[in-house]
Amino acid sequence: MANIRVTVREIGKKRKREIRLGPSATIAELLEQLGYSRETVVTRRNEKIVAEEERLSDGDLIEILPIVTGG
Amino acid sequence: MLKCTFCGRRAVYNRRYAGVLLCDRCLLKSVERRFRRAMAKHRMITPGKRVAVAVSGGKDSVVLTRMLTEYCKLKNCELVAITIDEGIKGYREAGLPIARENAKSLGVEHVVASFKRAFGATLDQMVELAKRRKTGLKPCTYCGVTRRSLLNQAARELGADKLATAHNLDDEVQAIMLNYVRADFSRLHRLGPTYPPREGFVPRIKPLREIPEKEVALYALLRGLRVHLGVCPYAGGIHGEIRDFLNRLEANHPNSKFMILRMFDRMKPHLAKVTPEFETRGCENCGEPTSTNICKSCDLLRGLGLERKQKMLISGEFR
Repeated sequence: MANIRVTVREIGKKRKREIRLGPSATIAELLEQLGYSRETVVTRRNEKIVAEEERLSDGDLIEILPIVTGG
Repeated sequence: MLKCTFCGRRAVYNRRYAGVLLCDRCLLKSVERRFRRAMAKHRMITPGKRVAVAVSGGKDSVVLTRMLTEYCKLKNCELVAITIDEGIKGYREAGLPIARENAKSLGVEHVVASFKRAFGATLDQMVELAKRRKTGLKPCTYCGVTRRSLLNQAARELGADKLATAHNLDDEVQAIMLNYVRADFSRLHRLGPTYPPREGFVPRIKPLREIPEKEVALYALLRGLRVHLGVCPYAGGIHGEIRDFLNRLEANHPNSKFMILRMFDRMKPHLAKVTPEFETRGCENCGEPTSTNICKSCDLLRGLGLERKQKMLISGEFR
């Protein structure tokens, strides 16, 4: 199976970025690769909130929303 | 597609500590059930009472206000929201309008008390003064102590029987660990779902204490609530380190946060035996309740050359 490419938009940051991942990668693996703790973010896949165990597909738009605000 | 363990709809969340997948509806129901269970288990609110809720505009307090509004209707209680404007540039001014709109849309009375009016300085100005005077104290020390004091004063002046705060599971476990690290028996002993009544203090309740932060956030997003998700510019230090440590622990060993909470709750009755009780009296300077001659707020303010300017917070102009 071929590698996949997803677009990642991190809420609070201006630029989107493209990330290459192995075939059948999950959102949890993407978060780990980007250095995010799954405890501190909510992820949307193609505008829908999904569990982090969902497998990614080529061309997906992943939005990462940090939820730990602290204060 | 991953399916909800209970109904087979598309899962939005993997509740790893319980080994179940949840869809949006089942997650919302579960979070609401936990809130109601905490309220009932600890008898947080009894019918006919007046309840104050601390609202910053962040996800936790917006979710709590919404849940309390429904609950108070059922229990024939009055609800009033209190926002403390600490004066943090680029942060609080974003949360304040959300807190106001949220209260308005729910038909809840809303009161704002500010550091500037109460102490003559915003938190930003206090931080500058602390730097200049080399007090060595962190912004969170000034903010935490004085904000709690103002909240209590505002709730008391508003005639509240209870003061609800939106501390979630993560907040509570972080506080437990912080007090372990600091070996602070007295503060550790005071943690819990409710605080016992004490002269001058409005008893506090924490209805979200057994709901993980991520589930509160998902609740807010799935309900489409408008919340402020900004990061406090002063966040960090040991609080941040403990939070990161606990999140790593939970990611690698799901259920760790709940286990820390459960262990603490089992130990709490024994802590009372080794923690000396203290009597409260009025602060010689401001009259607020304290265990010493001068309350911690006045002590900190004096160190900055400031003092409490308002003896009464709630007046017509505050409403």
